[in-house]
Amino acid sequence: MLTNTTEMKDLYYPLMSDIIKVEQLTATEKRFEIALPDNQVLNHKPGQFVEVSLFGFGEAPISISSSPTKTPAFDLTVRRTGKLTDKMHELAVGSKLGIRGPFGNGFDVDFMKGKDMLFIAGGIGLAPLKSLIDYTIDKRKDFGRIIIVYGTKHPSEILFSNEIEKWKNLKDVEFHMTVDRPDDNWKGNIGVITTLIPPLEINVENTIASIVGPPIMYKFVLMSLNSKRIPDENIYMSLERRMKCGVGKCGHCQINHSYVCQDGPVYHYPKAKELEEAV
Amino acid sequence: MPCYYDLMLYSHCGTKIVKQASNTMWGFLMSKEFNSKLTDLKRYFFNESDVRKFIDFLMTKAEVIAPQTKGEQSFAYNVVKNSSDVALEYPRTMQPLKKYFLPPVETLLTFKMSSNEFSEEVIEAKKQIFFGIHSYEMKGIHLLDYCLGKGKPESNYLKRRANALIIGISYKPDKYHFATSLGIDIEETEGFALFFEKVTEGYLVFVVTDEGAELIKDFSGGKPIDEQVNIEELPQQAKIKYHYNRLPQVFEHVYNSRVWDHFADKCVGCGTCNLLCPTCYCFDVRDEVGLNADDGKRQRFWDGCMLNSFAEVAGGENFRNKLAARMRHRLYRKFSYITKSSGELHCVGCGRCTRYCPADISIVEIINSLIEDYSAQQKKQAV
Repeated sequence: MLTNTTEMKDLYYPLMSDIIKVEQLTATEKRFEIALPDNQVLNHKPGQFVEVSLFGFGEAPISISSSPTKTPAFDLTVRRTGKLTDKMHELAVGSKLGIRGPFGNGFDVDFMKGKDMLFIAGGIGLAPLKSLIDYTIDKRKDFGRIIIVYGTKHPSEILFSNEIEKWKNLKDVEFHMTVDRPDDNWKGNIGVITTLIPPLEINVENTIASIVGPPIMYKFVLMSLNSKRIPDENIYMSLERRMKCGVGKCGHCQINHSYVCQDGPVYHYPKAKELEEAV
Repeated sequence: MPCYYDLMLYSHCGTKIVKQASNTMWGFLMSKEFNSKLTDLKRYFFNESDVRKFIDFLMTKAEVIAPQTKGEQSFAYNVVKNSSDVALEYPRTMQPLKKYFLPPVETLLTFKMSSNEFSEEVIEAKKQIFFGIHSYEMKGIHLLDYCLGKGKPESNYLKRRANALIIGISYKPDKYHFATSLGIDIEETEGFALFFEKVTEGYLVFVVTDEGAELIKDFSGGKPIDEQVNIEELPQQAKIKYHYNRLPQVFEHVYNSRVWDHFADKCVGCGTCNLLCPTCYCFDVRDEVGLNADDGKRQRFWDGCMLNSFAEVAGGENFRNKLAARMRHRLYRKFSYITKSSGELHCVGCGRCTRYCPADISIVEIINSLIEDYSAQQKKQAV
């Protein structure tokens, strides 16, 4: 016998939501715009994630790539890399998917107010970071300089080309990017992302650096921020783990004593430093 | 030093029958403290035939689950069909009691892929009586109550817990038990409605809660007694070298110890220790689809942090790909990580992980090696 139990709405109860827009960003990445049922607003903070599910294909944590200033729908940027995400990539506008969340802590935007913002994104790390970038651009007066540093392996992997064009044209946004390996048409910087950091002229005391990228990137970016003398207290990073349940129970996302789905995915660097398994 | 160490000192001493000498010696002859706590409790004397009759009586009230023999050396909790099947003296069951509250496979949702319709599985509110449970097992359940009840509570687990009545029994430690080393005495009664203490001629039955009193009131067997009875002194074999309240401190200093590599060399990474641990509760959630390729279930499965894929993410990155790191994580979860918020040790000393380890790894040996390492470090610093 099955009924819907609503008296204690279960932790694993997804909200069936609609895909209202699909955009192919690269060969392996798509952006999905999602509308919750009944015009509900997700009410997330930049840097948070949701658990996305398709019945029969399971559930996975996906970071939200749009700013909470954009409502009521929100964006998910998804790389096809497994059973669920392969299936997601087959879905068209009008398809349903299950959403739980938002989960995690998100970036501390109140602490960041009035500061110069330095964004460092590697590869698909730009997707979660974009929620904060968009937020700061939408609330432009609340922040100082906006400096975006973005690196990918290859020009074919560049995400959000439309937004990047927009950022490049904004007078009060400084955008720098590089690729590890160029193609024939590439006219920009070549080299790993850390090559872009030393030339930056910044007021280190008033600059907040927010980093999102593949695990290998953090160590090197942190080293080069350190040599620029940015204080640890001014560094935030978002860490990738397997947040299976999103509610601090299943254990998969644990970094030492910290559950990423509860205390993260955004970590203040002085906190992350205490976690031996973090980077 | 974080203040939780102070909490630790008292955490295991809540409402139990306090026995100060517990760290050097197991068992006692009705010490003063024991008397003062237990004389408060109403008690009965049951001979073995009374115990069997009492189980029959319980079976008229609700489903009764108790340890039963499963081959010569193996015991398992099962629904009782016949009171004579219940094992009154047993070292431990292979599977801990958690399977009744957090089942190995549990359906969270059932769905139809074609229509995206889904519904939640309803948890039946049925009373269950658990008979013949050891104190370390009860402690394990208390620790799960904490882990699954805090933050966002696991409603299914809590519903099942609310319907459980648990009756304890004393046990004779074998070479794998080290619960008393962790401050969990054999006569710890917290969580039990009634507690059966083995004495030479039968059992002393202590009434721990009102619910227990209510239950035993209607039973015609056994006889109420007032006089004191001597309890047999039983030695503890497996011992941790330090008092349990020092263990979190040890774990603050052995993160990079070679001990992890030493034991990881022997470990095969099978995850048996996770599976049989009364306080492990990590899980995976997967969708299973039926043969019609439409009806399916979203199910929760027990998982284990000793398994290689546990910390792996979609791109293939594995954040704990070394056995030594996984073993360390498992032990830190028992003695350090959760302890920081709960103020409790999350190992109960049941000895299952050691008893059933296919590679003969002993958790007591690991802890004692870490203690040696810590103690050597301290000496070095002192020089």
